Amino acid sequence: MTSSRHFLRLALLCQLFFFYAFAVSAQGTQRLTVRGVIKNDSGQAVTQASVVVKGQTGGVSSNDQGQFEIGANPNAVLVISSVGYQTREMAVNGRTSLNVVLVKSNASLDQVVVVGYGTQRKRDVTGSIVSVSAKTLNEVPAANMGLALQGRAAGVEIQRVGTQPGSNTVIRVRGERSILGSNDPLIVLDGIPFEGGGLNDINPGDIASIEVLKDASATAIYGSRGANGVILISTKKGRSGPARVDYNGYAGVNHITKEYPMFNPREYTAMRIAANTGYLNDAFETSNMAKGVNTDWQKLMYQNGFQSDNNLTVSGGSQDGSSYSLGGGYYKESAVLPGEDFTRYSLRATIDTKVGKHVKVGLNTLNSYNETNGSQFLNTGAMFNMLAASPLYTPDSGGITVLSPYGNTDDKNSTYSPIFLKHNNNSWVDLVKRMRTFNTLYAEVQIIPELKYRVNLGLNYRREEDDQFKGADTKLTPSFFRPSQGNTASVNNKEGYGYTVENLLVFDKEFKGGHKLNVTGLYSVQKDISHNTAVSKDSINADFIQFYNLGLSNPSNNVKPVVSGSDSTWGLISYMGRINYSYKDRYLLTATGRIDGSSRLAQGHNYHHYSAVSGGWHISQEKFMESVSFINDLKLRVGYGETSNQSVAPYSSLGNVTPYNNLTQPGNIGSTIHYNYGANNIVTGYNLLSLPNTSLDWEYTRTTDIGLDVTVFSNRVNFTADYYSAHTRNVLFGLKLPISSGVIGNYVSNIGEMSNNGFEFSVSSLNVSTADGFTWSTDVNVFWNRNKLTKLYNGFTQDIGNQLFVGQPLSAIYDYKKTGIWQSGDSAAAAGYGAKPGWIKLADLNKDGKIDPNNDRTVLGSSQADWQGGMTNRFSYKGFDLSFVLYARMGGLLVSQVYQPYADYLSILNGRRNSVKVDYWTPTNPTNKFPSPAGMLGSSIGLTTLGYYDASFIKMRSINLGYSFDAKVLSSVKAQQIRVYVTAQNPFVLYAPYMREGGVDPEATAVGNTGVQDPGNLSRRALTIGLATPPTRAFLFGLNVRF
Amino acid sequence: MKIRNSAIGILSVGAVLIGACKKILQENPHTVFTAAYFTTPDGLQNGVNTLYSGMRFYYGNMDGTIAFNSGTDESTLGDQGYNSATESNFGDYTINSSNGHNNGFWSNSWPNINLANAIVQLAPTAAMDTATKVSIIAQARFLRGLYYFNLVQQFGAVPLDLGMGELVFNQAAYQGFNRLPTDQLFVKDYKVIIADLSYAAQNLPDQRPAQAFKLSKATALHMLAKAYLFRGYSAAKAGTDYDSAYTVAMNLISNQSRYGTSLLPNYGDIFKEGNEYNAEILYSVERIPGDQNDNEVLNPTSFDPKTNIEGNMFTANYQNNYDIPRGSGHFPCDRVIQYMRPLRQLTPTPYVYNIAFIDKYFDSRYDNTFRTVWLATNNNCASAGIHTGDTCYVLAPSNAYADSVKALGTKNYAIVKPDSFYTAKSSKVQLYPSLRKYDDNKRTGVSDASGRPTPVCRLGETYLLAAEAAIQAGHPADALPLITTLRTRAAYRTGISDLGARQAGIMSRNTGTAQAPVWTAITVSDMNLNFIMEERTRELYGENVRWPDLACRGLLVSRVQTYNALGGPGIKATNALRPIPQTQLDAITDADKAKYQNAGY
Repeated sequence: MTSSRHFLRLALLCQLFFFYAFAVSAQGTQRLTVRGVIKNDSGQAVTQASVVVKGQTGGVSSNDQGQFEIGANPNAVLVISSVGYQTREMAVNGRTSLNVVLVKSNASLDQVVVVGYGTQRKRDVTGSIVSVSAKTLNEVPAANMGLALQGRAAGVEIQRVGTQPGSNTVIRVRGERSILGSNDPLIVLDGIPFEGGGLNDINPGDIASIEVLKDASATAIYGSRGANGVILISTKKGRSGPARVDYNGYAGVNHITKEYPMFNPREYTAMRIAANTGYLNDAFETSNMAKGVNTDWQKLMYQNGFQSDNNLTVSGGSQDGSSYSLGGGYYKESAVLPGEDFTRYSLRATIDTKVGKHVKVGLNTLNSYNETNGSQFLNTGAMFNMLAASPLYTPDSGGITVLSPYGNTDDKNSTYSPIFLKHNNNSWVDLVKRMRTFNTLYAEVQIIPELKYRVNLGLNYRREEDDQFKGADTKLTPSFFRPSQGNTASVNNKEGYGYTVENLLVFDKEFKGGHKLNVTGLYSVQKDISHNTAVSKDSINADFIQFYNLGLSNPSNNVKPVVSGSDSTWGLISYMGRINYSYKDRYLLTATGRIDGSSRLAQGHNYHHYSAVSGGWHISQEKFMESVSFINDLKLRVGYGETSNQSVAPYSSLGNVTPYNNLTQPGNIGSTIHYNYGANNIVTGYNLLSLPNTSLDWEYTRTTDIGLDVTVFSNRVNFTADYYSAHTRNVLFGLKLPISSGVIGNYVSNIGEMSNNGFEFSVSSLNVSTADGFTWSTDVNVFWNRNKLTKLYNGFTQDIGNQLFVGQPLSAIYDYKKTGIWQSGDSAAAAGYGAKPGWIKLADLNKDGKIDPNNDRTVLGSSQADWQGGMTNRFSYKGFDLSFVLYARMGGLLVSQVYQPYADYLSILNGRRNSVKVDYWTPTNPTNKFPSPAGMLGSSIGLTTLGYYDASFIKMRSINLGYSFDAKVLSSVKAQQIRVYVTAQNPFVLYAPYMREGGVDPEATAVGNTGVQDPGNLSRRALTIGLATPPTRAFLFGLNVRF
Repeated sequence: MKIRNSAIGILSVGAVLIGACKKILQENPHTVFTAAYFTTPDGLQNGVNTLYSGMRFYYGNMDGTIAFNSGTDESTLGDQGYNSATESNFGDYTINSSNGHNNGFWSNSWPNINLANAIVQLAPTAAMDTATKVSIIAQARFLRGLYYFNLVQQFGAVPLDLGMGELVFNQAAYQGFNRLPTDQLFVKDYKVIIADLSYAAQNLPDQRPAQAFKLSKATALHMLAKAYLFRGYSAAKAGTDYDSAYTVAMNLISNQSRYGTSLLPNYGDIFKEGNEYNAEILYSVERIPGDQNDNEVLNPTSFDPKTNIEGNMFTANYQNNYDIPRGSGHFPCDRVIQYMRPLRQLTPTPYVYNIAFIDKYFDSRYDNTFRTVWLATNNNCASAGIHTGDTCYVLAPSNAYADSVKALGTKNYAIVKPDSFYTAKSSKVQLYPSLRKYDDNKRTGVSDASGRPTPVCRLGETYLLAAEAAIQAGHPADALPLITTLRTRAAYRTGISDLGARQAGIMSRNTGTAQAPVWTAITVSDMNLNFIMEERTRELYGENVRWPDLACRGLLVSRVQTYNALGGPGIKATNALRPIPQTQLDAITDADKAKYQNAGY
């Protein structure tokens, strides 16, 4: 295992070296060939160049012939810029026609990147920022940008948290700093924080670019919100020119990549006998065994899914700098299990316009509505019943669906065949509807040429309704979800809204002698309010009512409506100032200060100020570097700063007394403390849930970042490497107290310190570019993060109850160490430990002759990857383009709850149900993998050790093959661009030890416990695999058209 | 001009929007209550409600039923209990600190104890009338006393200081565990239990309402007598404990009309469905039939921590184990509401039907405690002559009886001899006498939990406590009339005409063997602890007292070794205390966890 991991690492490195070697030897030329008025130094037209009147905002872009038109004073100065060229300023001097020649710059150094509260040339950036373009994102078609970003940006770790359509992703920038607080990066959409979760609300097709701010010098401007990194999403804007219509879309099918391996009838029967629990084949199963019945329930249940995305955009603008972009999107994905799908409708509009010469206003509105079916209760229920079904039962008998194909009486009485899920005659509803409107209005005044005032107003409203209905069970309509029970329904309405007001003053001036100064000042206020009301009810009068009118139901004792609600409001006040100074484009300095006040923390601890400073040095511009000709640019960046995390839930400092009994989700049936004195006097009870913490404080993170940006070989290869070290103090944590303290809920407090160190490396290289138009380019990124808890409160070195271990990552797994299975010859030794042959053999770490939890458990590993990375290769020739995207996550410990017998009940081997195929011990099969079924049932310790696997894997994310039609075809249909492509999404897994052991997919399906029984030793940060719909492979056909 | 106007306009809009200011840093939650709620009359009452509701974690649910009943001389594991590690741990004494049921019993107690501390501490300052205040404090103290009493019976010494001082409402994030030294703490624990129950016995109302189980002096006296008695057996004993136990119990027995309680004439009526609020039962943990939500049951078929499934746990596999004729695969009984869900967790040991209940004729308690006859619920066995409603299984009272019936050759039903009843050591036939005290026909689903109240204590047991106290205090002559009262009551059966003869007959005991009984009249000389323990089986089987009864009297090891073939081989003296759960030890910050653990774990 280890050797193959090293081999793969080596292979990747070899490929990297191969690229550079190739790049040095290849002699390339520029490949742009269009004509225009803006031309490059090779005489080629430059399209999409930005032309702005100096001192004003907005501007126009050159068209496909390089032409542009802009209104300007006779004495105005035009600033002309384009990616890959040095920005040029030209005085108009009364002329009406200009020929502009742009000189190629150092690769993309003049590319403008979005930084917090403004933009900067990449050349001037001193923080650690990674940009991802729309083009890169589109290479991995997905429902949300998280999935498309996976493995595409160094230092950005993305884990999916479900396999159903519409499931979300967990995004981590440079690891985790908080245990309790959110580790989610701040998402800023067109300048306004995107609150309330739900990346699914954003149509990836609307995204023009994503910038991830990673180090403190870049994120300190977001102060208390910046500790987890900041993801800035820019949506597509209009540009000047006649209206242009873009259509992008794809459609295709997806299907299961691997079934769960289950016991066949012979193995199933053998397992039951080995279990010796008395659950044996019933008469029906015995006769079917003789007939050779072998039902593959998965094959019967899985179907082909469908995936389609459609985006239509109209954009344009006038010559005076006003522009618009309007778009609509439709995304639909259905899954391999019946009843699961995700649909999104989105509409957006961006308008920027000028009022007079000095004022610019704009509105950006993003609206989406999405529906997810099957995310609340369908998935786990369906999967378990399907896998547990007896392979010796046929799905139907004499044309009638077998009601309960289970070889166990209890299941037969309470569980129905999954086949009923295939015919949903409105007998269940599992629907989540979300609506979001996200609006940003800005106005900008150029007070004097150097000074600009801008106000941003963000208004955000989101609404979600979760509807559930499970129909009544009758002889004619068996109810899969309610065997022998009446119907039940629930509705949960959630609403959230918030506003952000930002006032910005920006001073920008270039002084004589090469001094450039940019000063930004900000005052902002943000408030967010959310609330929900949930109602559930049984005994609805007729199934067709579903959840629509819960009042139409019987008012008996058993069926009282359950009503609950919650509220959450928070506010944030911020002041920020930033200075960017550069001298001769050679020495760069950024200094930032921010003061934040947050409502979430205890009174008196509300405010904190943050500061950061960073510097950059273009070493390549120094005299002593002139002789090193193959280096086009070499920049050293150093930054240091402080940010914090205020992401504790509102009201965390207040403590909580509630009627909630901790038995289920608040608002569900049976979740409230109730009692009755006699049959009719029903009362509610209250108890202390959590303690107040009057000294709850911010969690601070100080980060040092050292980075190097290198461009070499005629701008063909760009390297970026960053080393960072982050130190977090006052780590926020919800301490689980010993229950003898009498407090159930976690105590939110500041418990210690932790560090995150890491290294990120990315390279973009143009490997081959031939005269006849063949190109091959590669993007590679490799990164790792080392997370470590460095200090715990009161000098403690470990807190087992809370899974905290000094010197270990937060996701550390603390458990017994399985050394194998007690073999037949070991019976005397086994007996010494109270075990028998066939039982799990655990390491007696303190060698005291017994296995006990106080001495024989240890940290086995953690979910932390040794390294992660991604690689994208792109080839183009004539009209063809081919790309493939690889993603690797190597090392770490995976917790598969599928193989933890009491977590998912899928490997419990007690004979009641069919089981996931495991190599269990018998006297004639002396394996060291799984205990004998009887041995597993006899021992209650160490069973969790069966679920630990190597978490490494390398996956092919997507393969895309496209063809762009040439000018002749385009002109015949009056189109500017037509590209057709096919994509294979998740086509195969290259390497995954977990799959070799039988697992269906090496990628985690969740974080923390997902099983039925909590094994108790699972860090809330551990990556886990639970019982979920297996992953799918999709084949898509797509079309990009522009008119 | 125009530009300037619009610029000023925008600037002033910005300025107005800034106005929001500091106010937004104040938190004004609408749905969050703080601990100050427990200084209000509503808060105190709602706190007391929680303490009552918390008893659902012990009585009727799985954790409590197992801890109170499993692994005794009376009960061994049913086949399903045998097949599950967490349940079998209790039955064969392989229990370790990771056991989930043990953890449930422990964990669910503490938040309620802390809440009781809060009520006792905060109620005096609340603005409410004195009578209500005293009533609230008395209820809280009784319940705190009972929570502690249950914990002490299972775990030995348990903390009185939860973080901010003994019996103080803990609001500190305390990560210690004030359990040491255990011997001193154990003495203090009993002091607190007796003080709380004494306060309750003085300040609660004399009687409970007729149709509800609110706490009363009657209940407190019963529990106080038991606490004195148990302390008398313990290392914390005070010289006067047995006398105190006798005095307190006799106070209740002698003043039954004042305390609104009395023995029912028919033992069979005590647990009869629909008769839950009868005068003999002093206190039950209440639930409402069929009311999932108010019973805090998440899913009526599940085994959630507050769910009442005790009746199901004692139910044999009447459903698909014994086919008629044998080998045919035809089973005469479906799973029906009437016969409960066969969860087969707990099974009576042969001691119950061969020794304690060797007299099944005069003593009606056997038939009133166990279901031994099942009627067919289907026509599956029609070929064997058994149709719906016909008798299909009979668990014979004795081997001889079974042989005589079989010899007749006229019965279609299966007759099962006591020596082939299921026990964990003879697992083929999964039929055994099934506890019927908790039968619930008001359940909506066959596999549903019960909504019946679960008795915690009843006057019948008070007689036994008083009798035992008299014996231990050295005046056994006072025990005999109490025993006589209970036994003569047990002779009653509905429809009999020879009550007098039966009442005479029941006052004898077997001095021979199970096979060849010799009946001898019961006299004062029989008044000893062994007799009391057998009488407690006859009177209280399945009533959630047996394990502590054995453990606290120091009888656990000897009686389990004598009567429980599964539990006997593994049991050790240290098993008289349960292990402190590992979750508790893991959560404390002291690295030396072993010193807090009970010996032997």
